[in-house]
Amino acid sequence: MSLDDGDQTHGTPCERACERVPTLEHEMTPRAERIVDGVGESLEEGVLPAKVFNDEEIFEAELRRIFGQCWVFIGHESEVSEPGDYARRYIGKDPFIFVRDEDGEIRVLFDSCTHHGAKVCKAEQGNTSHFRCPYHGWTFKNTGDLAGIPLRDQAFQGLDTDEWGLHEASRVENYKGLVFASIADEGPSLEEYLGDFKWYLDVHLDIAEGGLEVIGEPHRWRADSDWKSGADNFSADSYHTGFAHRSVIEVGFAANEISGTPGQETQRHVTHADSGSTSLRLLEPEDEVFFGYPEEYVTDENLSDEQYDLAAACGAATGTIFPNLSFIHLAATNDPDKELDGFFSLRKWQPVAPGEMEFWSWVLVPAEASEEYKQRAYDVAVGTFSPSGNFEQDDLAVWDGIAEAAGSVYAEKNGVGYNYQMGMPGMSKASIDEDWHGPGTAWDDNLEEGTCRTFHGNWYKAMTDQEIGMSYPEDHI
Amino acid sequence: MSQRATQKPDHELHYECVSFYNHEAELLDTKELEQWLELMTEDIRYDMPLRVTRDRGSDRSEFSDEGFNYREDWSTLDARIERFQSEFAWSEDPPTRTRHFVTNVRVKDVDGDELSVKNNLLLFLAQGEEADGTTISAERHDVLRRVDGELKLAERDIRLDHTVLPMKNISVFF
Ligand code: FES
Ligand SMILES: [Fe+2]
Repeated sequence: MSLDDGDQTHGTPCERACERVPTLEHEMTPRAERIVDGVGESLEEGVLPAKVFNDEEIFEAELRRIFGQCWVFIGHESEVSEPGDYARRYIGKDPFIFVRDEDGEIRVLFDSCTHHGAKVCKAEQGNTSHFRCPYHGWTFKNTGDLAGIPLRDQAFQGLDTDEWGLHEASRVENYKGLVFASIADEGPSLEEYLGDFKWYLDVHLDIAEGGLEVIGEPHRWRADSDWKSGADNFSADSYHTGFAHRSVIEVGFAANEISGTPGQETQRHVTHADSGSTSLRLLEPEDEVFFGYPEEYVTDENLSDEQYDLAAACGAATGTIFPNLSFIHLAATNDPDKELDGFFSLRKWQPVAPGEMEFWSWVLVPAEASEEYKQRAYDVAVGTFSPSGNFEQDDLAVWDGIAEAAGSVYAEKNGVGYNYQMGMPGMSKASIDEDWHGPGTAWDDNLEEGTCRTFHGNWYKAMTDQEIGMSYPEDHI
Repeated sequence: MSQRATQKPDHELHYECVSFYNHEAELLDTKELEQWLELMTEDIRYDMPLRVTRDRGSDRSEFSDEGFNYREDWSTLDARIERFQSEFAWSEDPPTRTRHFVTNVRVKDVDGDELSVKNNLLLFLAQGEEADGTTISAERHDVLRRVDGELKLAERDIRLDHTVLPMKNISVFF
């Protein structure tokens, strides 16, 4: 099958043996329900109840209502470019194998042997034609099909092997190289789900000649922060750049113009673009910034004039696609004596426990750039956005305490809520840019937090079993 | 190790390396990072590759040749150190308490002015009121070069014993 058609839904959901066991509804405890209702009410005032960042019952409900329902990022197709290539990945906390099977199709297999449940994939990534379970030796092809059973003639004479292949994510789709999966049988297609935000995502995925490719393996590290702290920050929080990252700007790892400086008329925030929101640190199209890429690596072939102009003006952009995929496209340097160069980073905030996440980060570069440029761009990414990144070190440091306070009895007894009111009437000068040529709501100043409210609004929608991709709450405008 | 393998161990060389590492660890643990940088040659290569769990039969190294947590030269190390001097470098506020334990120092090869030295590093880190701290274990593959009679670090490859890092950021040197 072709990977370029952007639509590779396959298999009827749980066509294998799962229907023998009754399924459970996404139940939520009354306590979690009260917290979620509180979010619905207070978000209209621009206030976010602290509890969402650390509560056992909320966390359990998130795993079911959000990660059990939404499209979740799995990986980039360039990570599994050859048949048999695989990588172990997670949806919520659930283990899956992201694999290109022998027929070239990308699959997301549930990493649990259909015999007694053992893990069949031991490595983080590799290439294999088969996954063999170490417990009793059942062997599965990289398509998930059950291919071998030890002592089958004596032990499982009547078994229909077609029924006992590995389970897989109900739906898998590829959007321009980004592979997502959903473990819900039904729901919007990936493109419907991404909705208006596709317009912005396309700018990032289509600006480079030949598209983008992943370099190396993803960085993985753990933090005592809730997964939503990362999603919220990238969704985007332009306000923090000038303070939290002041040292980085001072030393010269990035240009002051992209630090979200207030009063710079060209900056935009885009909110309520269905699945996402974004901060665009813009200069003018004539500046031909292109996220720091040399002009020979960019192309206008797949973009509208407006999208191309946006890229030409853009030195930095962050955004979050609900629930836990974020990105940064940035012109920066790891060495203040060198020029700024661009890279693209995808980041996934994987829930581990309430107030605890595992951070995954991929570095992408233009696929047709020179080897020298790719290595240079990778170095810039390591020096800025990686576990040791001069920017990222401080992000993880400043989120300290959010989860701790959220888990407190005090927050519970006193109804502690955090302030997300920037950009609401009477707060900042940010107003809607009526002439903006892209979808969603564009703001003529980065001093507003409708971006974060878009993320938490989508969270509220998903937690109340509504489809995400809307404007909630609408009143704040 | 060729010739030297048949000779008695070179105590003096070994002692000199151990002394170098003890001094280096002291500078790191007391945050004298500018002096620490002076221990590097100008062409220092300072790498920490990602470690990846691969199939047991895989012929690929577990240490990535494409993915890195650090891939530094003198200038990028200098810039990182400069940033730490800022009052806005939040990852080091409060400063991480570190203790570098360097053991199992093995001089593997001598080539002119350069020594290839492997050693083990156990790095303890704690910050603020964090009670239990974090322990990172690694092997370091170094090249020490004699410059004007003194040993300097010319290459370091930090080979972690971790795949998923058990820490929220890397704001210290190894
Ligand atoms: S659990 Fe896998 S073969 Fe028995
Ligand atoms: Fe940040």
